[in-house]
Amino acid sequence: MTLQPLISALQILIFPGALFLFCLAFFYEWIDRKFAARVQNRYGPLFTGPSGILQPIADFFKLLSKEDIVPLAVDKLLFTLTPILYSALPLATLFTIPILSQTGIMTFEGDLILVMFVFTLIIITVFLAGYGSMSRFSIIGGVRAALQMLGYEIPMGLAMVGPAIAAGSLSISAIVQWQWTHWSWMVWLQPLGFIIFVICMLAELELVPFDIPEAETEIVAGWRTEFSGRKLALLRLGKDFELVLASALVASLYLGGAQPIWSVPSVIAFPITFLLKTVCVVLLFSLLRAVFARFRIDQMVSGMWKYLVPLAILQIILIQLGIGR
Amino acid sequence: MQDGLPYILPIIFTLSIVIVLLIYWFGGKTAAKGSLKTTHGKKATYACGEDFPVEEVRVDLERFFVFAVYFLIFDVLAFILATSFYTTGLIPIAYSLIVLAAVAALLLVRGARK
Repeated sequence: MTLQPLISALQILIFPGALFLFCLAFFYEWIDRKFAARVQNRYGPLFTGPSGILQPIADFFKLLSKEDIVPLAVDKLLFTLTPILYSALPLATLFTIPILSQTGIMTFEGDLILVMFVFTLIIITVFLAGYGSMSRFSIIGGVRAALQMLGYEIPMGLAMVGPAIAAGSLSISAIVQWQWTHWSWMVWLQPLGFIIFVICMLAELELVPFDIPEAETEIVAGWRTEFSGRKLALLRLGKDFELVLASALVASLYLGGAQPIWSVPSVIAFPITFLLKTVCVVLLFSLLRAVFARFRIDQMVSGMWKYLVPLAILQIILIQLGIGR
Repeated sequence: MQDGLPYILPIIFTLSIVIVLLIYWFGGKTAAKGSLKTTHGKKATYACGEDFPVEEVRVDLERFFVFAVYFLIFDVLAFILATSFYTTGLIPIAYSLIVLAAVAALLLVRGARK
């Protein structure tokens, strides 16, 4: 029993914890960049490491070593605080996802609500970052991020609630275990919810059909125009953590999570299955972002309300009627 | 692994903020230091090279106001649906139908105004 705190500390700090998640974040950014580039007939990262696999880490350290320029007009407190929050929030939330076993490190009844709350909090951070920058491009980007959230937040919440209703629990680990005991993935039971959730995750990640808040052809870099140096490095790191979080959520809620596909659960099998499923989800994200073009903000918001919200409610009604549970 | 360490939530959140702060501190240590003499342009906000005065940009939010109000209502409804899985059957379906009617009303009213 004396070993238990040590094991917990190791789990939090190293293996399914912080260090592993850092490696995963950079690895998934590489997969996303490389795959989207290959789909668009480009090469993508090429020189740093084999096939450019170390390129995101090199970018990160290059940005850390750049001069940190703070414009005179910005709100200094918001400008310093928002990059830190933007990368710390997804990192902390990733601990709710079960990776090493059937329960995550930070598992409690209702952690799905925490994840929804953190997704909203990230967008509020983005809005404050744009607002505190005092540049017109940043403010337009921040306002667009907030407006976009008004569109996709409701269908995203409903799509996350669907598996919870079926499993009878608001805990991600319990949903994963339900899919294990019933020998069925949520994606077969609730395909509508899966599609809605993937679309909303694209919007949450600001990937291309919904990259309205940082549309570089319209508003230079959107809400992150003024950030440079270590702050930009933290913003990019936070984006990578968000990518890991979104793919892990899709895999956990709809694809059976870290449960092995074959029937022998062991310590090795859980993380490998997790990696396989999340890599598939990241490939789906980058395929979608490579083939679509950007929506306008009003198209996006009214389209979300016209199509996705009724479809999400329809999915909930179907579940309540007993179809898909 | 045991189910839930005590105080795991504050520990994890504090830990991740500390890790990010360490990176931030490390970046401050290793970053290149600019020269003390700075020109006006370096510390100005980006404005495509033109000389804009710093002022707050006004964004027209009126057309999205309806969505904001509906968002508030629907967020509550989503939470009601989220916590309704113990009472399956008629009540959540009734809630969902009300929500659906509200969405239809929103879109019809907006369509008629245009």
